[in-house]
Amino acid sequence: MAMVTAAPSGSKSSPHRRPGATDQAPDGLIPNRIVLAMQGVTKSYPNGREALHGVDLTIPEGDFVFLVGPSGAGKSTVIKLLIRDELPTKGVVLLDGRDLGRLKRRDVPKIRRKIGIVFQDFKLLPNKTVRDNVGFALEVTGARKRDIEPAVDRVLRVVGLTGQAEQLPGQLSGGEQQRTAIARALVHNPRLFIADEPTGNLDPVISWEIIQLLLRINELGVTVLMATHNAEVVTAVRKRVVALENGRIVRDEVGAAYHRED
Amino acid sequence: MFAFVAFSLRRAWHGFWRNGLMSIAATATMVLMLVLLSGLIILLTGLDATLNYVQQEVQVVAYMKDSATPQDISNLEVSLQEMAQVTQVNYVSKDQAMKDFLARHPDEADVIGSLSTNPLPASLQINLRDPNDYLDIATFLKSQPAVDRVLNIKNTVDQMVTVIGILRAGGTVTLVVVGLIVLFIIVNTIRLAVVARADEIEIMRLVGASDAFIRWPFIFEGAFVGLLGAAITIGLLFVGQGPLTGFLSDYFKVLPVEASATVGRNVALIVLGTGVGIGVLGSYLSVRSYLIR
Repeated sequence: MAMVTAAPSGSKSSPHRRPGATDQAPDGLIPNRIVLAMQGVTKSYPNGREALHGVDLTIPEGDFVFLVGPSGAGKSTVIKLLIRDELPTKGVVLLDGRDLGRLKRRDVPKIRRKIGIVFQDFKLLPNKTVRDNVGFALEVTGARKRDIEPAVDRVLRVVGLTGQAEQLPGQLSGGEQQRTAIARALVHNPRLFIADEPTGNLDPVISWEIIQLLLRINELGVTVLMATHNAEVVTAVRKRVVALENGRIVRDEVGAAYHRED
Repeated sequence: MFAFVAFSLRRAWHGFWRNGLMSIAATATMVLMLVLLSGLIILLTGLDATLNYVQQEVQVVAYMKDSATPQDISNLEVSLQEMAQVTQVNYVSKDQAMKDFLARHPDEADVIGSLSTNPLPASLQINLRDPNDYLDIATFLKSQPAVDRVLNIKNTVDQMVTVIGILRAGGTVTLVVVGLIVLFIIVNTIRLAVVARADEIEIMRLVGASDAFIRWPFIFEGAFVGLLGAAITIGLLFVGQGPLTGFLSDYFKVLPVEASATVGRNVALIVLGTGVGIGVLGSYLSVRSYLIR
């Protein structure tokens, strides 16, 4: 299976995961180099609240994007749409060329394997070791046992947790727990890596380590979307910044700061 | 595929013990229901067999007066055999009737021994081609001077049919009620197991586990409750088999013994099927209502 490499930079990626492969028939107009395309996306919840309004966002392969904005601006809704936890009320969300709104129920798990996601609260299983937490992602998606171990070893090396592989989450620092979660998100060799406030529970020094790790993962070729409030980090890194306010994209700049600079 | 089954079984096993008390409660109610079920099946099978036996064997019994001479009886036997409605006539002498009685009630030997005369009448047991011809034969028999009394087995059969019908209906209603309770308990047991694994399920969803990977461990867990309940029930029946058969043959004198081997196998299969079936159905319902949003 194609899920054994930590990052798609190596030669191990299987052919159907390579850019240019078009297994998504109806979307021939979208170049496959685009990992994510949102077009005119509006999302209203049943209670009438409109969380997103006419959002257009395109993320090419290899990009590193900060998604910023105050609480309630719609960042969470964007992420829920990307992992197809929610469906857009209007507009289209294309992930790796697949229209998420027209996905059959049984295809949802497959699209989720193209996404790696980490959260503020890590979501690790406390009774499993670091190795088993990471391997769990492969185990529950039907990977063969003999494929799991090398894949887990590889991502643990990437996040620098080889030495802690046999420890339980409770024995780890917050930063190490987040790195475990990152390893788990990478183990499927995702097309898009989503970090939802990954540094929200971490002190500044550890936050920096996590950011450095995400930048390194991005250098390995993984497309990264990071939703954050951390202005200091965003401004220092000078990557692409997409700012949401009241459900609309109010700014989309490359090499920008957290706040508007003009 | 093997990895999937191994994964599901392992998780089901852990799930069962993680929630040990509830699982044991579910298993215990499962056993209760299966014991009721198999008891009802065994009882009804026995009664049905008895009914068949009675229906096949003798349909009309004519008790002879003690004053009837062997010649009278023999004449009557011949004239009965010549009737088109009659397939067979058996003569049971007073001595034979006593032997049969003693064979069935060995405990009564003392009482019988204390009697100076044999109180049991001789009888003619008559098989009919069609039970509905009973009235013709009974009328004929009653007109014979040698005949004391005519016993219509059909009445007994009708009574048995009624009793069996009541037992079947009452038993089925009881079983359905108990079955629903078991189902409810299993749904709740598995619901608890699902809630206990809510974090895992969330992660499984996020990393793209298919529904099968999320659902089947719980279904196996329910099946496991059913399997364990069935095994315990079959074990109980096996241990209780001797006393139970004794009770049944004491109570329903003519239960044919040769039927019990197949009855035992059928009951075991039904118990197994019902147990696993309810376990699977319960978990399916539970996981379904939890997972589908």
